[in-house]
Amino acid sequence: MSEKNAPASAAEEFVTTRLFDALRELVWQTFTEARHLEKWFGPKGFKVSVAKLELRPGGTFLYSMQTPDGHTMWGKWVYREIVAPEKLVTVVSFTDPNGTPVRHPMAATWPLEVLGTMTLAAQGNKTLLTSRSVPINASQAERDTFKAGFSSMTQGFNGTWDQLTEYLAGLKA
Amino acid sequence: MTNDQLSMTFAALADPTRRAILARLASGEASVTQLSEPFEMTMPAISKHLKVLERAGLIARGRDAQWRPRRLQPAPLKEVASWVEHYRRFWEVSFDRLDAYLQELKHEKNRQEKRHVRKKRTRQRR
Repeated sequence: MSEKNAPASAAEEFVTTRLFDALRELVWQTFTEARHLEKWFGPKGFKVSVAKLELRPGGTFLYSMQTPDGHTMWGKWVYREIVAPEKLVTVVSFTDPNGTPVRHPMAATWPLEVLGTMTLAAQGNKTLLTSRSVPINASQAERDTFKAGFSSMTQGFNGTWDQLTEYLAGLKA
Repeated sequence: MTNDQLSMTFAALADPTRRAILARLASGEASVTQLSEPFEMTMPAISKHLKVLERAGLIARGRDAQWRPRRLQPAPLKEVASWVEHYRRFWEVSFDRLDAYLQELKHEKNRQEKRHVRKKRTRQRR
């Protein structure tokens, strides 16, 4: 299928940035060393354990997350490009304990694989992190799902999302 | 093709016309004619979009048989919102923790350096 390999457009990207008050070398270490990752990576209340971390192109970072209710989830990054201390390109997916990508049970059309590109830019004593996510090897349905999920929310649904958000907030109250 | 609720909602939300229709319905119910007004589209085209939204459970038809207004059904939207929120939170929360952790590492490093300098000085004095 040709659509499967078509590059995703910028509009399908999910972009986040964050400025850290630390030198770039140190931020890089916290992203690439297991002992550091276990200290900060993952949702609140989840216990993250690193099962494997091979920092080389084609290598895998496999981790488990124990949810507060005792349930275990797995995920992995496969390194595509490593340029210390400024760029890390990885393929991110939910997996089973063996590291085989699996669909999310709640959303079957959520992309199986997401390409994550993280760049670190030194700004004096601080470091600006930019993270871009985009589905890869994805079907049209997966790309639509990702786009509907992220781009529309983060880019404000062309201005109309605010109204809906307000509406939803009203319903919760 | 998968039919789980979340996938259907995502598919319905992927189209800008359908998002605009939902946004319009967020301010109250409306007839098909009213909904079609802002768009340069034929009625059959609008009806098609409405059908997709209906199947995804995002809109429902009102009781008035003649006017047949459509209204927003927010439950699936809430699910999408919480799904994306969860994903986004993953990074936000992680970055918050990383922020604190980096400060910890910096303090640790400073302490070690100071200790090192002190040792050196003591040694020099001897």
